[in-house]
Parts: sequence; C-alpha cells; structure tokens
Amino acid sequence: MVRASCQRAIENFRSANPTEFPTMAAPLTAIPGHTGRIDSASRAGTRTMAAEWPIYAIVAASTCIAVGLIWDISWHRTIGRDTFWSPPHLLEQIAAVVAGLSCAWIALRTSFGNDRVAESRSVRFWKFFHAPLGIWVCIWGTVMMITSAPFDNWWHNAYGLDVKIISPPHIILLMGMLGIQIGAMLLALAAQNRATSERDRSRLGMIFAYSAAVVVVMMTIMLMEDAGFANEMHGSGFYKATAAVLPLFLVAFARSSRLSWPATRIAACYMAIVILSIWALQLFPAQPMLAPIYNAVTSMVPHPFPLLLVFPALAFDILMRRAGATHDWLLSAALGVTFVAVMIGIHWYWAEFMLSPAARNFVFGADQWDYTERLGPWRYEYWNVDKDARGNLSVPTLAAGLGMAAIFATVGSRAGLWWGKGMSRVKR
Amino acid sequence: MKTAFRIFGVALLYMIAAAHVGSPDTWFEGKAGAYPVTVQIMPAGVVPGVARVFVRIAGDQPERVTVQANRFDATGGAPPPEVAPRVEGEAGLFAGNLWIMTGGSNSVTVEVTGARGRGSAVVPMVASATRRLEMDVPMGIGLAAMGILLFAGLVTIMGAAVRESTLPPGEAAGTASHRRARNAMLATTVVAAALVFGGWTWWNAEDEGFVDSMFKPLKSQASVRTGPSGAVLHLAIVDSPWVMRGDSAWLSRNRASAWTPLMQDHGKLMHLFLVRNDLSAFAHLHPSSVDSVSFLADLPTLPAGQYRVFADIVHESGFTQTMVSSLNLPTPAAPISKTAATGVFGVAGGVAASASGASQDDSWLAGPVDKQATTATLAGGIAVTWNRPPGPILAGVPAPLQFTVTDRDGGPAQLEQYLGMPGHSVVARDDGSVFVHLHPVGTISMASQMAFAMREPGDTVRGRLGKRIAAAAMPDMAHDSVTSNIVSFPYAFPKPGNYRVWVQVKHQGAILTAAFHATVEDGAERAR
Repeated sequence: MVRASCQRAIENFRSANPTEFPTMAAPLTAIPGHTGRIDSASRAGTRTMAAEWPIYAIVAASTCIAVGLIWDISWHRTIGRDTFWSPPHLLEQIAAVVAGLSCAWIALRTSFGNDRVAESRSVRFWKFFHAPLGIWVCIWGTVMMITSAPFDNWWHNAYGLDVKIISPPHIILLMGMLGIQIGAMLLALAAQNRATSERDRSRLGMIFAYSAAVVVVMMTIMLMEDAGFANEMHGSGFYKATAAVLPLFLVAFARSSRLSWPATRIAACYMAIVILSIWALQLFPAQPMLAPIYNAVTSMVPHPFPLLLVFPALAFDILMRRAGATHDWLLSAALGVTFVAVMIGIHWYWAEFMLSPAARNFVFGADQWDYTERLGPWRYEYWNVDKDARGNLSVPTLAAGLGMAAIFATVGSRAGLWWGKGMSRVKR
Repeated sequence: MKTAFRIFGVALLYMIAAAHVGSPDTWFEGKAGAYPVTVQIMPAGVVPGVARVFVRIAGDQPERVTVQANRFDATGGAPPPEVAPRVEGEAGLFAGNLWIMTGGSNSVTVEVTGARGRGSAVVPMVASATRRLEMDVPMGIGLAAMGILLFAGLVTIMGAAVRESTLPPGEAAGTASHRRARNAMLATTVVAAALVFGGWTWWNAEDEGFVDSMFKPLKSQASVRTGPSGAVLHLAIVDSPWVMRGDSAWLSRNRASAWTPLMQDHGKLMHLFLVRNDLSAFAHLHPSSVDSVSFLADLPTLPAGQYRVFADIVHESGFTQTMVSSLNLPTPAAPISKTAATGVFGVAGGVAASASGASQDDSWLAGPVDKQATTATLAGGIAVTWNRPPGPILAGVPAPLQFTVTDRDGGPAQLEQYLGMPGHSVVARDDGSVFVHLHPVGTISMASQMAFAMREPGDTVRGRLGKRIAAAAMPDMAHDSVTSNIVSFPYAFPKPGNYRVWVQVKHQGAILTAAFHATVEDGAERAR
C-alpha cells in the first residue's frame, strides 16, 4: 500500500512536471553544470534539487531514525511501558520503510529502467542490479533492521526485556540504522563529488555534513552507557570509549567533505541535534507507567547533554588543514594525541559544571534520571574513577588510561584518514 | 556447539520456580471488597517480562477490573492501573497483562468496581527468571538465511565500493580495480567472519550470565541427628549469601543481595515437608530455629528410604521460597502403627512440645494409595471425599481440588482451623519436579500478603515488620471453627504426569491427612 501510494505520488509529480522527470529518473546523478548564464543557472539549480529527492528522502529518514532512537531511549527512561507500536518505534519504522522503499524504487529503476545515465552513475550488485553505492548501503541497513526485529523479540522472550542499549540484537538493529544513515551520507557525498558548480557543491556539502552529524549522533548514542554522563568524565574509561569511536568518524567525514571547517561544522550540528532534543523532550509531561517507580518523574527524561565535540573537531580541522594530504601516519598520531588532550582539557572542567547546581535547569537538562533509579548521592559523584589500592584517585592509572585512549584515537584517526580518502573520491 | 543446540533445539526448559517447585503460577482466592475473586498470575519466566493476570469473578458481573503491579520497596508511588478486559465467551473471566520489571518480591493489586462497590485485593508474587528459551527450528533457519544474505550483501557492497564507486560516471572498471575489489571482498569476509564469531561468543556469554542469574533457592542440607527424645531432623541453610548476610563487606565483594530476615507464616518460621521419593510417605513439620541457619524438628516414625525435603520460608520483603534438599531415612527404631480400615498408616502428633521444640501441629502419613479411590477414610471414621467431576484432569486448566469431609455418620464434619486455615494441601509430582503447598487462599503466603498490607515507610529496621505481622496474625491463629465441611484449593497442575495430592484438615483437635492419586493429562495449550 505504501509502495502504491509512493508510486502514485511519483506519477502525479511526473504529470505535473513533465520536463523534470528525465532528471528524476536519473536520481542522485544529474548535477548539470553551469552554462554561464544566470537564468539558466538558476533553472539548472531548481532541476538539480528536484533530482536530489532521494537524497532528501533518505536523509530525512536517517534523521527520523536518530530522533526516534533518542525519543525511544527517553521513553524507556520515563514511561517504560513499551510495545512494538509505541510512537518512537513507529517513527523509526516509518523512517525505515521510507528509506527502504525509496532505495528499492531507485534500485529497480536503475537496474531495469533503461536509463543509461542513471546506470552510468551506479555500481553493480550481483550481476543484474545497478544503483548508486549509497542506495545499496541503505538497502543493506534496512534488511539488517528487519532481521533484528524477530531476533530482538525472541531475545526479550528468552532473556527478558533488556534495559540496556548494548545487546546482540540491538547491535544488529543499530548497525542497520547506521547502514541507512551512512547510505544517506554516501548519496549526499557522491552528489557533492559530482557537482560541477560551487553552489551545488556547497549545498550538497552541507547536506553531507548534516547526514554525517546524524551518524555521529548515532555513535554517541551507542556510547551513552560508557561515555554519556558527566559523572564519567573523570575516569579514563570515558576517554578510552570516546577515543575508540569518535575520531574514526570525525576524521573520515572531515577528509571527505569539501566544506571549510568540516569537522567543526559536523560536531556543531551533532550538538545542536542533541540539545534540541533535550529541550523538546523536557516540554512534554509524562509519568512512569510501570512499577517499581523509585523516581517519580513528571516530564520526559532528556538525553544527557552532548559531548563538547566542537573543540576536538576544531583542533582536527586546524591540524588537517596544516598537514594537507601527506604524512598521514604522523597526522594520525597528532590527531590522536590532540583528541585526548582537548577532550580531557575541556570535559574534566565541564563535568564539574554539569554536576553543579548551575546545570540543573532546562538548558542543560542535568540531574534528570530514570524512573527506575533510586536517587542518591551517586548523582553528584564521579563514577569509574581510576583508583589506587586505597581507593584514592590514582594519577598514574589515569595517565596510563589516557595513553591507551591516545593510541585508540591514533588508530581511529589513521583508519578515518584512509576511509575518508576513499570516500572523498566516491562519485557513484 | 552449545549455541547450535540452542538455535535448533525446541524445548522450553522449565527450571526451578521461586516460591514453589516447578509450579510457576501464583493463585489467590479471596475477596476484593464484596466480590469473591480467584486470581491466577502466569509469570513470563523472565524478568523483565509480561505476566498474564486472570481474574475470575462469581455472581453478578462488575463494570471494571484493573490490575496493577508494584514492588515491595518502591518509593516513588505506583503506576496507573491497567484495565483487564473481559474475556469473550467465558463468563466472569477478566484478563490483563502486566510488565514485571524487577525480580524479587512483587505484588499485584486487583481492583474490582461494580454494583457492589469497589474493592481490591493484594496478591503477592515472586518474580524471577525461571526458564531458558530455546530457539525453534523455523526461526533459527529464517535468521540464519537472513544472516547469510546480509553477509553476502556486505561483501558485495564492499567489492562494488572499491571497484566502481570512485570511477567517473560511465567509465568501466579496469583490471586493477577488479583486483583491488577482490582483495577488499576477501578482507571484508575475514573481518565480517571475525565479527560474527565475536557476536557468537558474546551471545554465549550473555546466555551463561542469564543461566547464572536464574533463581535458585537457598541451598540447604538435611540430616538426621539423635536428640534426647529420639531422632531429630536437622535442616541447615548453608547458602553463603544467607550465612554471610550480616556482613555487608562480604556481600558487596560477592555482589550478593542482602536477604531480609525470615518471618512467620501461619505462626511458623518454616513449613517443612518430607516426601518419600515414591510418594508413599509424607510429613508436614515445623522446625524450630536454633539459630538463623539451623532448624530442628522431631522426626516422626516414617518408613525408611530416600526422601525429598521441601522447606517453605517467607522473608520480610514478602519473598517466599522453597528450599530443596534430600534425606535418607534409616529404619525407624519404633514400629509404625497401622490403621486397618484403609491401609493408611497412623495419624497426627497431638503431644506437647518436646525438648527439641517439636510442634503439636506436625503431622504425617505413610502407606500406599488406591489410584482409583476418591474417598479416603481416616481415623475415627472421618471420610475425605474428592469431589472431582468425571473426565480427565488437564494440565494448565483450573483443577477441581474440592474435598468434602464427613464424620462417622456421613454428616458434615465440624472442622477447625489448622494453622489458621480451614485446610492445607500439598501437591507433588512423582519425579519431584513439581511441589506446591496450597491453601484455600491459593499458593500465596498469608504473611507476604500481610507484609504488603502492613508495610510502613518507617520499616527500615530489619525485623520490625516481621514482628508486627506476627503480632497481628495471633488472633487468626486461635482454634476457630470452620463454617463449612468443604475445602477447596485454587490451582492448575502445571504439566501432565502422575501426582499425589495430600489434604490436611483438623477435627476435634486432631490433624487428619488424606492422600489421593491424580493422573494429569495434557491440556491443549493451557486452554481456558
């Protein structure tokens, strides 16, 4: 039914815009060049944007998945009562359906639609199928998400509803979601890399940065249990977890973006998405619907305040601009050490603010806990602090942990440079 | 290999359940205000999980039935109650679903609203993981197929990315691109295989952790000792978290939860049952506590042999559990008296407490049981008749456990309260996999029900609530007479098999025990 209504919408669009359709049939591909004349350039711009509908559809789906996930986590922390049809689940499912159907439509059009242009801008999949790389990654993600559903359901029946993010079926689900989001990003990236006008490049570059930021949001959600709360920021575990995951993505995205200050923009965008979600969630009154209730919350419990990623990202941009495309190993080491140094330099003090009464307000959303938590002094204490045998803070243990984090960040940055270099050339 | 077995296995393995053995459902029969209700709670078997709550109401039907779960120590109030809709086609039956989020002592409050006003009943239930689910074959095959498709898809995508994605539109991939793509696909295969293997290992570890976390009752050991007045049964709770429960450092080191103290249920700290492995002998004893780990009871003269020992205890949190151990009884010193009429061995204690503190409420019975008999004639000509309709008894379907007690003349026997109840019943399966101690109020412990009713916010001192409950329970313990000579027990046999049902009532100060055989057949899908 959804497919039928999609097709109807496309047919309607086709009859209303007969001249647009040839470009539509070659989605993600045609970015016509400048003719030099202003009027034709603006017409070309309109045409290009219409041709980009799959990018917008899939980036929107990618956003809905991330927002749905943040909402779902808040739902579990606030309301608890959960079904397959809870509103955040519906948002995620609709997003997956939109992404999956859009991609399936494009894959079928490109494979069997006799459109030479579209085919020339696609990659081959199992001999008969053609579609842009991002579309295949998206489809893979959708299938992964679909597979995780019965597995997750079985898991809940077998081992109980997991009240944690990191479980085997959840990892499959998150990998599926990430597939759709990386697919969206690759679509924007290929369009950016094919764009011939500065204006198109810049616009598509912004879409790429946004879709990359959504991927960063997903990665920080996966990190939430180990590196989400300010209470964790005085332990090396926080720095190890962030270093193992974030530099890989930030560096890869920065290297493949054609914008100026790419990592900073992506990090700022990530922070904006999470902060907006914090503000929005707190506006909705809610009450726990399951027992036992140890903390009678009255509004949706927001996500923890985002990591201050703009600072290490700014350092990344400066270092990467200086280094250029040479000495990648040396650059990786510099990026790795800088990441951990900037992270601890900022978050060590930021944690003190976030645990202080000054942060317990609407803007920062600090000190809001699940309905299942027994509130106690642990709320304002540091967790997982590196301790010596006597239970005091051990600087050598902390330093060793930070050293390990720097190694993780260096390896991640190196992989990110390599991955980013590959992505910067993606044109299909 | 183990995981492969898990994927392709089909069995639901029922393990030991919390409050009783192999009988996970909680039953309650009583009043919710003016409404007589029978409540059956079917737990999910995992925590957190969804429990099904069935409420049967006799007489004129109420407008609304709600159910609500809570835990004994919740400090932030209760969630809103859930409406339990009427079950179509079954008069007086309402069914609701309740998420039970935390293991341990929970309660379910049933509220009934209708023409007779509004009334509620609190049913204590113990939530714990009791079974491990195996994946069925079609599901395993389906998931494996999807897994292979995804694996192949990932390898193909990586190949396509390296081969073509970076080429300008229209350009064909050269030999070098093809070679690089093959290498990339090989590398992806290796990495993805390593990830799948890692996931497999992780799953195994999660599964082992789950099995470890499944509820196991406190470990206990039973032995026979010689006391001043003869053989004495000694039961010791040997589980470390119980023995060390006062040592908070030990508990935190071993990540063990601190058990709350025991409290009396029906005036007794422990109800201990000896069941001979062949079901031919049974005793219901009430050991007295020497200290918090040792319990002693005078051993009745039972036939020698291997016995299963089931010891019911109630914690102050309302948590109930049945400790299981075994005992080899030697040939008794004194011969067992025999009553001629039924071939059933002798009855009741009725003697004053002895040096070891044996209770006059102890009772026992030994001897073969006629599998066809529905009437058992006991000492003094008292007859206990099982009012069972013709037809088989089905597993999962409410069982007709209703008994009429008549005196020598066939008239209604005047019954008395035995340990605060008109009657007690014990149901055991011949392999020991099911054991349950029933009352007319169901499987619940009155003490844990009182714990929920009488709990006050100030009950932070361990043992205080238990004392209050014991004091409040005293009036009930008086030897009141019982108005009816019919006793019934709400229950459904959990699985097919051969069972023994013992029924105990009190008449003229003597405790009478009757034994019946029950063959339980498979009830299709726990139809109701």
